[in-house]
Amino acid sequence: MVGAAGLTRLVCLVAVLATVGLLPWLSQRDPALTVLRARSAEQEPTEEALSAIREDLGLDAGPLSLLGKWASDLLRGDFGTSWVSGTDVLPSVVAGLQVSLALMGAALGVAVVLAAVLVAPVLVRGRGSAGAFAAMLAAIPEFLLATVVLLVCGVWLGWLPTAGWAGPEYLVLPALALGVPAGGLLGRLVADALPAVLDERWVELWRGAGVRRTTISAAALKRVLPPLVPQFGMVAVGLTGGAVAVEMVFAVPGIGRTALGAAKSQDLPLLQGAVLALLLLGLVAGAAAAFTRRRLLGPALRDAGLTLPPARPVRTHPAIPLTLLTLLAVTIGWGLLRDPYTLHTGARLAAPTWTHPLGTDALGRDVLARLGHGAASTVGTAAAICVLSLLVALALGFLPGIAAGAADIANALPPVIVGILVAAAAGPGTGGAALAVALISWPALAAHAAALVQEVRASAFLTAQRAMGATPFWILTRHVLPSVAAPVARHALLRLPGIALALASLGFLGLGAQPPAPEWGLLLDESRAYVERAPWAALAPAIALALLAGLAVSGAAAVQGRRVRRSAPAAKKPSVKRPSAKKRKESSVAV
Amino acid sequence: MSDALLDVRDLVVRYGDVMAVDRVSFALAPGETLALNGPSGCGKSSTALAVLQLRRPDAGEVLFEGRELTTLNERELRPLRPRMQPVFQDPYGSLSPRHRIRDAVAEPLKVQGRWTAADGPARVAELLDRVGLDPSYGDRLPGELSGGQCQRAGIARALASEPRLLVLDEPVSSLDPSVRAGVLNLLADLQNDLGLGYLFICHDRAVVRHFADRTIELRDGRVISG
Repeated sequence: MVGAAGLTRLVCLVAVLATVGLLPWLSQRDPALTVLRARSAEQEPTEEALSAIREDLGLDAGPLSLLGKWASDLLRGDFGTSWVSGTDVLPSVVAGLQVSLALMGAALGVAVVLAAVLVAPVLVRGRGSAGAFAAMLAAIPEFLLATVVLLVCGVWLGWLPTAGWAGPEYLVLPALALGVPAGGLLGRLVADALPAVLDERWVELWRGAGVRRTTISAAALKRVLPPLVPQFGMVAVGLTGGAVAVEMVFAVPGIGRTALGAAKSQDLPLLQGAVLALLLLGLVAGAAAAFTRRRLLGPALRDAGLTLPPARPVRTHPAIPLTLLTLLAVTIGWGLLRDPYTLHTGARLAAPTWTHPLGTDALGRDVLARLGHGAASTVGTAAAICVLSLLVALALGFLPGIAAGAADIANALPPVIVGILVAAAAGPGTGGAALAVALISWPALAAHAAALVQEVRASAFLTAQRAMGATPFWILTRHVLPSVAAPVARHALLRLPGIALALASLGFLGLGAQPPAPEWGLLLDESRAYVERAPWAALAPAIALALLAGLAVSGAAAVQGRRVRRSAPAAKKPSVKRPSAKKRKESSVAV
Repeated sequence: MSDALLDVRDLVVRYGDVMAVDRVSFALAPGETLALNGPSGCGKSSTALAVLQLRRPDAGEVLFEGRELTTLNERELRPLRPRMQPVFQDPYGSLSPRHRIRDAVAEPLKVQGRWTAADGPARVAELLDRVGLDPSYGDRLPGELSGGQCQRAGIARALASEPRLLVLDEPVSSLDPSVRAGVLNLLADLQNDLGLGYLFICHDRAVVRHFADRTIELRDGRVISG
């Protein structure tokens, strides 16, 4: 099974690389036209001119030779030539990479400091958890935080520059926007694991022997960190996805913005180079995490002896998610009754009044109406993705090797990068964004389903079914599927807000729904330009997205807390082991 | 022993390089209780699963009511399976946590095509009564019963298949001593009334001495006495 997972991992990786290499061929729209426009605006797009360019690019030769040429050029260090600017791709990629690495390094610093602040109280008191607050921080999507930080610190308070890359002061706001969610995630991982470790027998023993608290704290940290290292690698991977949004908001000329710009202008060679660099960053981060873990653990890794005791889940009162849900539902319901497209030209960027409860946008459209209709399409798309992922997960759950391998690769791919690839191949749009999010949301569900299937198959009652002469079909439909479908469906439902946020982030980047469609991410993006005149137009979608993030966290926590309370007295019931939840930002709905 | 209910000859079960069961032979007459005794890891449970053909043996013969089972494929085996039923050690694990007791006991009838809307419920109530459970327990989920009650429900489910042989894999090992006696008495009554053969797997020598007609001792997959 390990072999199957490894093979799937390899196949997925090759598939991703091949997708990158085949972008020019996959792209439905004729790239020759893009190139022609870029090279000489005057030239008519005649058939001869276009086919000359096709030949020049090697598009006529078919996908396999295209892939072969791309791969062999790549091995010789030739990243190709930009279709738009006509310059070599490699220097732009290297320049972008340097900027991005500096930004990510600073963000990592912010993250570590924040994580330390979150963990310190738990270490000092020896109990408690920073989980809820940290989870909230971790759930805020980078694009939202970036926009808010830019508004508050940059525009209103005017403390720091908001755009460009001309000195260390330009680094502060982007690093904050990128580092705070990552720090929340890091802090949450450690803070959740610490109390259980501090309950272990050795801590009691050391205390009894008069060992100093600082020594015990240091030992507890050393005990907690190694098993979490793979997830730290995941945080670093998440940074590469977050960098795209943050670099766009703050106009930082990094690799993320390069990739995004290339995707939008159909400059595929540049896009290939930039995406490859981003993937490489993720892979290096993952490999570094694996290496660190091996160095930290040594022989303990082989014995599989060092696992963490199960963390006590953060508990939330069910009233919190219910309040958030009601608030969102009322806003959306009210907005749905209104018209999101009519232009009130006399009332552009109007402040909230009774006619326009949340004001109007730059074209004089009602913000509340756009919020409501945007939610309907975003949540509807997210629900469709959930159902699709659930079906795929149930189908593939019977092949645990495939599920685990695919989940690993999907964990290593930020949705933004998948979104960029899909948008480059199919053009930006709601369908492409949905496909991108669906591609990376099913594996976690499939891994969960696979774990449940294995558990059910190993149970004695299933053996009893076979002994009484039940057919495999009977066992599957009466016992295995019902035991697996319900928990996995709940898991999918809990992921809904996270999926909606991922869709919104693609919309914000211009990779999802296109204007004039009302989509929350797009709404936030459109209103950014007018934020000084009409802050409410930006604040409304920002607050709605924050509510959604809050719902994602508190909903999961409430369900988890309830499950713990319910199963505590009935410990004799077979406990359902959950696979470690996907720890990436855009879908931090841990189950 | 052509009149044996179960005749096992040179049974072998391997897990990779490990010989879990190494040429084990024994026979069991109708209405007899044969105990397999030995420490944990000696191959008792592997023998049980191999006899039931739930884990196909790697070599040897299993003759049940005179028919050789090891050469049959799954489809040919299915109609014979109800005649030999397992009862497991973990009373909770052997019942689906999602199904009511009534449904668990009714399932063999449905699987084997003997369920009718008219007679089915009465048959289930009768089976529950037979194992000493009030039929009102049929509405409950396994998690709402005690270990002993669950074990009785598991026995009722086994009886629903109308078996000739019960393979009892540590049926009372996870029960309290007071409950244990009740379940053992129930098994003895059932054997008297129905003439069932029992392959009784147990590591507790005191229980074996009290309950079994004959005992064979297993060590490291081999028969050392019996």
